[in-house]
Amino acid sequence: MPAIEREIRTGETMQVGDYQITPTTNVLKIRLPGQRAGLIWNRPKAVTVRTSNGQENSLPVRDVTRLVIWYMLAGGLLGAILIGLMYHKD
Amino acid sequence: MTDEMNTNPPVEAGLEMFQDTMHEFLAAADVRVVYGEPILHDDTMIIPTAEVLCGLGFGVGSGSGTNADQNPDKPSQGSGSGGGGGGRILSRPVAVIVASPEGVRVEPVIDITKIGLAALTALGFMVGMMFRMSSRRHALPTSEE
Repeated sequence: MPAIEREIRTGETMQVGDYQITPTTNVLKIRLPGQRAGLIWNRPKAVTVRTSNGQENSLPVRDVTRLVIWYMLAGGLLGAILIGLMYHKD
Repeated sequence: MTDEMNTNPPVEAGLEMFQDTMHEFLAAADVRVVYGEPILHDDTMIIPTAEVLCGLGFGVGSGSGTNADQNPDKPSQGSGSGGGGGGRILSRPVAVIVASPEGVRVEPVIDITKIGLAALTALGFMVGMMFRMSSRRHALPTSEE
């Protein structure tokens, strides 16, 4: 059994009007080797939308909050490095 | 016989509880945990989505020993076992899927509080670095000194 396992799971298809919606998730499983402990991180990946005329479209589910937080922290860190470099030049 | 009757039920109950907990833990990997129950309003269906983070850890142990201090001819024996564990499930809304006759769209759920905290942390990085640099500059000895 691997310590870190990643899989994409597909849920049941739902019918809404002319659309068939199939959800998919991204699952990350971490098992600590030699320890009786584990972690499961399950997050939405995308929804596949199929219309009655056979058109299929995948809509990604983006975690905007996480993206903004990461960009802000990266920006803060980059800003701190730039400030440090500017003071060093002076 | 009496002892067995007294000790087995708690062990079985403990194992049963552990199995239930493991079952709940593994259920966190299911798709239905992330995509909530669809809410139907007129022609529109809303499906809430969330990310789920679940951690679990447990430990068991047993031991036995003899004690011959009080009566060396007939040492007393004993054994015991125990276990414990803990876990936590965290859930956070990510987006809402809106399906209407006009089409299907994904509306993100934005957590302003978390973003505000991240902004303050980022600002703290920069202000901290500015203070550090300016205090270092003041601490440097001049050529006249």
